[in-house]
Amino acid sequence: MSLADGVFFLIAAFTLAAAAGVVLSSNIIHSALFLILTFLGVAGIYFTLDAPFLALVQVLVYAGAVAVLIIFAIMLVMSTPAHQSNRFQPNRVTLFLGTLLAGLLTATLVYIGLITQPALAPVGPSGADMIGILANLMLGRYVVAFEAAAVLLLLAVVGAIILARGVEEK
Amino acid sequence: MFGKGLGKGLAITLKHALAMDITIQYPEEKPFLEDRYRGSLVYQYEKCIACGLCIKACPNRVLALETFVPEGSKRKQVARYTIDRQYCLFCNLCVEICPTATLYFSHDFELTQFRREDIKVVYLPPQPSPIVPAGIGGTEAPPEAAAAEPAPAPEEADKQPAPPPDTAEGAKRERQVEAMQAALTKNPQKILAKLVQDEEAIELLAAMLGKDTKLSSKLAELMIADRDKAQKLAAGLITKVRKASAAEEVKTDEPS
Amino acid sequence: MERLILDIAHLLVSWLTGRGMAPVWADLLLLLLQWGTVLAIVTLNVLILIWLERKVSGFIQERLGPNRLGPFGVFQTIADTLKLLTKEDIIPTQTDRWIFKTAPMFFIIVAVMLYAVIPMGQDMAIVDLSAGLLFFISVGALSTICILMAGWGSNNKWSLLGAMRSVAQMISYEIPLAFSLLGVVMITGTLNLGEIVKAQDKVWFFVLQPLAFLTYFIAATAELNRGPFDMPEAEQELTAGAYTEYTGMRWALFFLAEYTNLVAVSALMATVFFGGWQGPLLPSWIWIIIKTYLIMLVFMWLKWTFPRIRMDHLMSFSWKVLIPISLINIVITGIGIKFIQGMGW
Repeated sequence: MSLADGVFFLIAAFTLAAAAGVVLSSNIIHSALFLILTFLGVAGIYFTLDAPFLALVQVLVYAGAVAVLIIFAIMLVMSTPAHQSNRFQPNRVTLFLGTLLAGLLTATLVYIGLITQPALAPVGPSGADMIGILANLMLGRYVVAFEAAAVLLLLAVVGAIILARGVEEK
Repeated sequence: MFGKGLGKGLAITLKHALAMDITIQYPEEKPFLEDRYRGSLVYQYEKCIACGLCIKACPNRVLALETFVPEGSKRKQVARYTIDRQYCLFCNLCVEICPTATLYFSHDFELTQFRREDIKVVYLPPQPSPIVPAGIGGTEAPPEAAAAEPAPAPEEADKQPAPPPDTAEGAKRERQVEAMQAALTKNPQKILAKLVQDEEAIELLAAMLGKDTKLSSKLAELMIADRDKAQKLAAGLITKVRKASAAEEVKTDEPS
Repeated sequence: MERLILDIAHLLVSWLTGRGMAPVWADLLLLLLQWGTVLAIVTLNVLILIWLERKVSGFIQERLGPNRLGPFGVFQTIADTLKLLTKEDIIPTQTDRWIFKTAPMFFIIVAVMLYAVIPMGQDMAIVDLSAGLLFFISVGALSTICILMAGWGSNNKWSLLGAMRSVAQMISYEIPLAFSLLGVVMITGTLNLGEIVKAQDKVWFFVLQPLAFLTYFIAATAELNRGPFDMPEAEQELTAGAYTEYTGMRWALFFLAEYTNLVAVSALMATVFFGGWQGPLLPSWIWIIIKTYLIMLVFMWLKWTFPRIRMDHLMSFSWKVLIPISLINIVITGIGIKFIQGMGW
């Protein structure tokens, strides 16, 4: 096992522990903070996959902005005391369906993991060229999707402002 | 130009940053004080005429004065002058009202003391006066120098004469009273001239004393103890005698 | 002199591999040593900076700063640090202790992580990331969460309010912060900080991109909660805002983290706009120190000149002024680049 594998397992363990914390914590703020750690862990995995740009965008967008907004939203609408806001209190039906779903997902993942051949070497260009290639793709071949996503985000912003402020009746 | 005010502000702070600092490094450098700076109140014994104007002017009862009249002069002298600096508000009223410019504000602002008692300053006469002011402090002679002394607490605000403490003093006093009484009997005019100005009044008083020995001994005692009180007593007696004689005259005038 | 630090590093690695250690472990050890050095430099820098801030603020206000302890008061910071270490550590009751205790830790971790990509001299960045500039912006964005944690963990309405205001300010100013650097990226065509420095050997980008420089400066001041934008932690308004309930060393950690952030941002500005480690006579690692300190002096000058900006003015300034200006700068830069390419220069 080389150093790279060791690093990968370390980061993966960290990410999984953080994800477990998100699910198992009974305090919703703690769950949000564990979610941030999960995002950082995923960014670390992107680094090991030789995609630094994607990793940094993950940090910037997810951990830097999305997580902050999640925490803001939680803080604004929290109605129960923090330490019991995320308790695990299922009834029997939820318990049964949840266990079924989790079992199906686990079986699928394990099956795919067993039959997939691991990639032997990183494919394609690395590092510095990657950003240029991504830019070419986004603004070249997939420009419509890119612009549509931008318009969608703009709509979301305008909608949020209207919801917050209200529209004046003329 | 947009942002010109910001630039001006930055230029001003830069100029201040590069200019000399105006800090006075205090214990090593003392600040510059103007002439009229009001530091600590200072009293000069020699200039004081014991008029008591400053006592009346002070709004906070900071100043206190005890006077005595020594033998051989009719002028009041200051026995003890107290400045209780903790209450002084530096209003300058006492300095302004003093007719002889006895009080002034020095430039000393480092007035902190370690004990509260040391804040009060007491001025005492510079040399022993000829007649022992025995009612004050009970000491045999007041040899303390006229320089300001922080006096211990129990003596403070004590305007009554202290009781004669021990028998040596009491005996001496008795001798003095006897001597005074003898002088009054022998030569009343001379002694009474110290108390009363008027010649006729002196004759009247001498006649009274000749009749009443108790009165003469009382007057003698008072003359040793407190010259002021003796004067007052003499004046009161004279007034009484005069009223009595005036009433007699009226009575004798009436039938006519 | 110039290669002093690199020579020491190479010497160490070669000695270790000569002794039989595998190269990868030697490199790892070297990395740890580099990190240790950076941490030591950062801490030293922060101590110097606190002293410098007090002195500069004193001189601007026409008074001496600390001048009793040591010559020119240089030991004042040490005395203050000792005082803070010995203060009682008060944790409010009924708080979320984990969040309360880990907030300052994360803040300083994030602040120190920024130093990983800054080239401290020629070929002297700890990690020469291909997306170094983006790393800087992303990790800088993580500090917002730490302030939210601090505000939430204090169990204090006003701390939470201060934290929310602070975070709102910081995420508003992240946008002009990133956009203003895009002009530089467009000119150089790379996000690598080493390449950006090398691209400035003819002319510094502060000359080519004055609008971007100004925007970045203002946005950085707001990101650092410093200078005229320190409403969230103004003493007169909100006591210490999100940091109200922190005492002793925990508060000192926040304070240190802010100064660490300041040094990192100044170093980035020196790298991106002022030519980094390039300079005539002195070794490269001294030049970047000089440039960083000069920029920090300008930050301090700004802080002690201007009055505090009101919260709503602050937000509207970011959204209505700085973002349009930075977008205009990108457009102008793009036009300029195409123009120059078209002219064949």
